Amino acid sequence: MIGAAIRRLSLRGLTVGVLALFLIATVATGISILTANRVTVARAVDRRIAVVADLVLERDAGETRLPTPLLLTRIAALSGQRDTGDIGLLLLGADNQRLGGNIAPRFTLPMGWSDLRRRDGIIGLSHGRALVRDAGEGRRLAVVAETEPFDSYRAARTRIYLIGFGSIILIVIGGVVAFSMLVGRRIGDQRATVEAIIAGDIRHRVPVSGSDDEFDRQAAAFNRMLDRIAELMEAMRGQSNDIAHDLRTPLSRLRGQLAHMVADARDPVQAERASAALAQCDALLAMFAALLRIAEIETRQRQAGFARFDLSTLVRDTASMMIPVAEDAGRRLGVDVNIVVPDFTGDRQLLPQALVNLIGNAIKYGGDTITVSLDASEEGVSLHVVDNGPGIAPEDRSQALRRFGRLDTAREAVGGHGLGLPLVEAIARLHRGRLTLGDAAPGLVVSLILPRR
Amino acid sequence: MSLHLLLVEDDATYAHGLAADLIGLGHRVEHVFDGRLALAAIDREQYDAVILDRMMPRLDGLSVVEMLRASGITVPIVMLTALSMASDKVDGLEAGADDYVVKPVDPHELIARVQAVIRGRRWTASESDTIRAGDIVVSPTSFRAWRAGQPITLANLELKLLAELARHAGEVLTRAMLIERVWGYDFEPETNIVDVYIRRLRMKLTEQGGADPIETVRGIGYSLKP
Repeated sequence: MIGAAIRRLSLRGLTVGVLALFLIATVATGISILTANRVTVARAVDRRIAVVADLVLERDAGETRLPTPLLLTRIAALSGQRDTGDIGLLLLGADNQRLGGNIAPRFTLPMGWSDLRRRDGIIGLSHGRALVRDAGEGRRLAVVAETEPFDSYRAARTRIYLIGFGSIILIVIGGVVAFSMLVGRRIGDQRATVEAIIAGDIRHRVPVSGSDDEFDRQAAAFNRMLDRIAELMEAMRGQSNDIAHDLRTPLSRLRGQLAHMVADARDPVQAERASAALAQCDALLAMFAALLRIAEIETRQRQAGFARFDLSTLVRDTASMMIPVAEDAGRRLGVDVNIVVPDFTGDRQLLPQALVNLIGNAIKYGGDTITVSLDASEEGVSLHVVDNGPGIAPEDRSQALRRFGRLDTAREAVGGHGLGLPLVEAIARLHRGRLTLGDAAPGLVVSLILPRR
Repeated sequence: MSLHLLLVEDDATYAHGLAADLIGLGHRVEHVFDGRLALAAIDREQYDAVILDRMMPRLDGLSVVEMLRASGITVPIVMLTALSMASDKVDGLEAGADDYVVKPVDPHELIARVQAVIRGRRWTASESDTIRAGDIVVSPTSFRAWRAGQPITLANLELKLLAELARHAGEVLTRAMLIERVWGYDFEPETNIVDVYIRRLRMKLTEQGGADPIETVRGIGYSLKP
């Protein structure tokens, strides 16, 4: 499950996640070090205080009381020594009066251990520890020591921490961001290549930096794969050229001979038979031409010839051009271009062919009214050709888009090679669009949906 | 006009049939089987035009065109080929062919194209903008046309169609040629677009009287009377 979650992580997500974890770890480390430091120092200071307090309150064997002058002498002696001179000592009497010592706190220190702050008014002390012990006869001994080696130690420590950890954080953030940008850029290079190839330029290759790193090796493998695909495509193209040549030449021969038979026929029956054969030969050639055209479109070589043009004008002009053809067949053709698409990128020959083809189908198989419209759609633009004829039943629609998937019934009588819609669909796919058949209730609506780029 | 043609085609049966057709239409045809023989023949003789197959053994059609053009030989060349992709056509025209026809081709269509190429050679750009054919005058740049001095109202496409017919008055223009030149399509529509437009053009040309100036050449195309 974690594996799946990691696999779902985006590069950005991973970067942000790693950085967040790193920040948390750094801050936790800082706090831990700070705390450990304080605790250790406090413990050491406490030990020192306890030792000094013991020294002051030390009793010789058999001694039962400690006279105040003795205590004050001891305090003075300790205050004068180099290694204990920084320790604050205070002896208070039973009635809280100051008996002696080297400090004068503003308030009464509690018995036992306590923390000291600057506000406690002990000169020269910003942070410290205090121990108040019973010195007998109602007297109390306060021993005070600093926990910081110099003034503003905390601020200095904070600064050190900020500079130290801050620079670590900056280096890591910089590194991770640079790394993720580098990875993103190299992957972006590959994506750009893939996009260019999808757009029809198989010659595109992923740039290789020459550093022979993981990315370079990946790019090289990718490029070798593309070389292989290009080779296969070239071979396929050669094959389709061979097929075109090997099939068209004998068909041309056949057509020539049939045409001669028609011309030379002595009696009408013979002439009619030869004409029928010639017509079938022509139908075969038309089917072959359509197949080759689909093959041509599917190689996507035509994408290299894509141009930018005004699609609304092209649709309006092409559909209007077909109005007389529709009228000639007793149909009414309406053109309804609702949007302006001044910067469509596509094939200027294939899109009119698709539209002429669809309108031709509507004239052949549809009712008496045909409407061509161009509208904006979620995916880009949709070109609809609507007729009010018998339509195509939902279960037959996929069949109609299949090659040679001509629908037997009324359509058979009208002829056609059954490659018209597959050809339009190939044109749609070349433009990264699609072709759909729908119910115009009554009639058929054929929609060519094209993304805008 | 009888033409002296060189047919370069490796498929013997097809070549013989086509040659017989062309001879039947009143032209002189010489046939060779490959590119090298074609180069030799062109070197030896003067032809009005060359009909050149593309895929041939030894020397293919494209190389023949390139070699001829490189050596400054300007004889009109119509490539006749089984390869129908748009890029194939571009290759052929870029190599220096004058027209590119996909097999099989009706001999009438082929001759119409050859004649159009030959005529196109003689056509000079300095010629005035207006085109005359019989009592018809077309001015493609000002989008106007007249018959017997009377203006005729034509839609844009009809005017382009009339201009193309008038430019080649007396010659047969096939449907494929018209679709290519007037409509600018690189495909042959399955619908009878050309016939419909010719019918409309005819109606408009004869509205104010006068004989029909457009001749239908059955099964081939149309021709405007000169």
